[in-house]
Amino acid sequence: MNAINLKINNEHYDVSVKPHWSLAYVIREKVGLTGTKTGCEMGTCGSCTLLLDGKPVFSCLRMAIDAQGCDIRTIEGVEEDNNGELHPLQEAFIQDHGMQCGFCTPGMIIAAKHLLEHNPDPTEREVREAIGGHLCRCGTYIRIVRSILNAAETMRNAQAGQ
Amino acid sequence: MTSETSVVGKSLPLLDAYEKVTGKLKYAGDLPAMHRMHHAKVLRSPYAHAKVVHIDTSAAEALPGVSAVITHKDDITGKKKTCGSPWHDFSFNFMGPMISPEVCYVGDEVAVVSAVDEETAKEALKLIEVEYEELPAIFDMEEAMKEGAPQVRPWGPNSLPPSLFEWGNIEEGFEQADYIIENRITLGNQQHAPLDRNACIAHWEGDSVSLWTSTQALFWIRDAVTDFFELSPSKVRVYSTPTGGSFGLWWGNNFMLLAIAIARKARRPIRLVLTRDEVQTTVKRRERPLIDAKIGITKDGKMVSQSYRHLMDNGAYGNKFDPYQSVADIYTTEHARVEFIGVATNLLPAGCMRGVGDLTLAYAIEQTVDMAAERVGMDPVEFHLKNHWKTGDICHTSQEVVFAKLLFNKNPTVELTSSGLAECITRGAEAMDWKNKWKGWGTPSSVDGHKVRGVGMGISTHISGLAFFGFNGITVKVNPDGTMALTTGIGRMGQAGDTTQAMVCAEVLGVELEDINVIDGDTEVCGHTMVTFGSNGMHMGARATKAAAEHAKEQILEYAAKHLEANPADLDIKNRRIFVKGSEDRGVTLKELMSTPIFEYLAAPEVIGSASKGVEFDKAGKMMMADFAEVEIDTRTAQMKLIKFVAVHDSGTIVNPAVCENQVAGGYYQSMGLSTTEHLVFDDETGAILNPNFMDYKLMGPLDMPDPEIMFEEVYDEDGPFGAKGIGEGVTCAVPIAISNAVYNAIGVRIDPPITPDKILQALKSKS
Ligand code: FES
Ligand code: FES
Repeated sequence: MNAINLKINNEHYDVSVKPHWSLAYVIREKVGLTGTKTGCEMGTCGSCTLLLDGKPVFSCLRMAIDAQGCDIRTIEGVEEDNNGELHPLQEAFIQDHGMQCGFCTPGMIIAAKHLLEHNPDPTEREVREAIGGHLCRCGTYIRIVRSILNAAETMRNAQAGQ
Repeated sequence: MTSETSVVGKSLPLLDAYEKVTGKLKYAGDLPAMHRMHHAKVLRSPYAHAKVVHIDTSAAEALPGVSAVITHKDDITGKKKTCGSPWHDFSFNFMGPMISPEVCYVGDEVAVVSAVDEETAKEALKLIEVEYEELPAIFDMEEAMKEGAPQVRPWGPNSLPPSLFEWGNIEEGFEQADYIIENRITLGNQQHAPLDRNACIAHWEGDSVSLWTSTQALFWIRDAVTDFFELSPSKVRVYSTPTGGSFGLWWGNNFMLLAIAIARKARRPIRLVLTRDEVQTTVKRRERPLIDAKIGITKDGKMVSQSYRHLMDNGAYGNKFDPYQSVADIYTTEHARVEFIGVATNLLPAGCMRGVGDLTLAYAIEQTVDMAAERVGMDPVEFHLKNHWKTGDICHTSQEVVFAKLLFNKNPTVELTSSGLAECITRGAEAMDWKNKWKGWGTPSSVDGHKVRGVGMGISTHISGLAFFGFNGITVKVNPDGTMALTTGIGRMGQAGDTTQAMVCAEVLGVELEDINVIDGDTEVCGHTMVTFGSNGMHMGARATKAAAEHAKEQILEYAAKHLEANPADLDIKNRRIFVKGSEDRGVTLKELMSTPIFEYLAAPEVIGSASKGVEFDKAGKMMMADFAEVEIDTRTAQMKLIKFVAVHDSGTIVNPAVCENQVAGGYYQSMGLSTTEHLVFDDETGAILNPNFMDYKLMGPLDMPDPEIMFEEVYDEDGPFGAKGIGEGVTCAVPIAISNAVYNAIGVRIDPPITPDKILQALKSKS
């Protein structure tokens, strides 16, 4: 066991990990943040996506031991990053029904958040590419894409109004 | 008849949307650890068929951290029932043992270990020594049915006795026909493949057991546990969380029984979470069909007779033996015969998956119908319009009839309540521009160099529940502030069952959706509710919800009558306010009524509405759908691309349009998977599944195909709540038909799904 410290959503967690434990496993099972899902544990579904130093990664493919010193953001931190209010993406997913069972939703929102931070006015194609590695078995893609595009518009309008 | 509604018909957000977008919603695998909880792992058979001659678990038991090991030798109930005892699931999906000395498919359970953590449990599995004696295995349905074929499992014949539905006189029917079209079809092995992995926690307290799991079948799991462990229902409590997609997968399953059995032995709470590999290879898959179809038509394109022999690969423990739904009735002919045979093979057990029998049989019917239309030279759209099922027609193959015969020796008739098929077909054809694009059978609608395009169509129906699924017990409790709690055992699996039931309740009680809190997923709190399957939620389930809400309304109006010194019959509720019809300014808000003492009692009223409702089965409300596809095939690379897809659905009144659009889109994506890339590949030699993951079992992603055009034909169903019918399963049924027919028209060769480049290549070669 190795003692490490993980910084997740601006909180620090001391955890003991084995070298081969994935970041997804540690965040879910040891830290107890279960908003990050693990549908496949092999990098093929996208449900475990979180932001590692600002970049979306499949946390099932990352070792927890390597994440020490990184800035980790999970779905649980999205509201906090938005002054405790729902992020426009979350609002849009709610209003536009960008989900059915909701299992893929945290991963989708994280990927979309990264996209909109770097590209505030994406085309539909760019949105689809940003979530290209994410599966939604419920087949909600139409409304997921619509949610992201609508959130982008809301965010641009808010920006313009400021 | 239609009715004015204020909640029903709106795309209101899901009740649990906030939890979903914030990651707060707990699925079974997210439940917090319990005190002293251990983790279980399952040792599984590497052989498709073998006897466990010897098993030594001593080294595993001695491993520090291991709390229990169970094998087929374990006494499970204390009444000489061992793990090897068979149990059956009431849905006819499963009939098999839990850990048997004879393993019958690759992945069958051999032992279970519980330990302080998953790693120790895995370690312990490696220390179990098993000696197997291989037995002959069969993977092919027709082989399994042959006389003298080796037995697939320790009991019964390999094929169940056929279920037969017959009406008219089939021989006569074919004599009346000018042409007889015969056809044989099959489909691939599809897996439900929800993103979420099956999981549960089991815990014994004395002689009572609690189980936490995600499921669509709350009460059936309770009943299965009760049955298998020989307990009183009062000793079994099941808590269910929403599923991360189910599509038929999250029902009663052995893994839950394994957790319960080992929790008793370990005397600890036990958590069992399946790996992705286990989800794909040990829970369930869609039954694979092999169907011989024969249709008789007259020269002018009238269908006069039809017969189908439907084999269904049940795998090792699947237990299907009849059509389940009345699929053959898509076309009402005077003479018909439908034979249905469930066959056991040494493969992963098969069972219900979204669409079930409607999908498989409709595929066979519709391929053959397309051939029939070709035979008489009639445009398929015209052929469909001439022959399809209509309101008031009889459902000859309804499973209710089977049950009525079985239980009461009676032969009732079941009537179709409504059908918008004609409108669905017409609107779909228009949206596809069928008139211009359809150029004849086996004839592309356009050719661009080596790229050819073709269009195809298909129709289907699906039940909105079946009466014998049972009664729904629902309560509506009104709070002092006018909000209310609705308890229902409906399964939450992404179909928005909680939201749409609450919408029905809100509509009846004149309140807003947000006023309703849905309490679900607890067998001790909720009334017995049907399994959420067969698309019964919005038809049969909602009828009970509506009745419970009406019961609450009755009480509210009685109290309001005292408050307003009026006659209850003169009152109604709208916008959270009770008022006198005709003089609307005389009224009281629900909140005021519920929090103000009434003179007679010196107390504020307490309102609890309840209803327990079964459904009479003489009428069947079925959803209808017509799908149209346009595909493009590159004749050099044999790649197929979907260009356009139109889905038109009659699910009666659409209670929540956004939810229903998502359902139709989901069915389209899943059935596009079935049509093209989704196919569990079984090794010919070993029967093992070679692609148990999302890398090799390809699900459709966000870049893989165009969005479908979705339309609803809202035919008001007099039998349904606010005119609604079900939707969730039917959405998959007609997709593969439309795709296959489009491919045929593009290249002139019929190919059964999965339509892969190698099959297209072969087809192109065979043609040239
Ligand atoms: S769990 Fe990480 S990609 Fe699927
Ligand atoms: S909403 Fe169910 S997997 Fe996307």
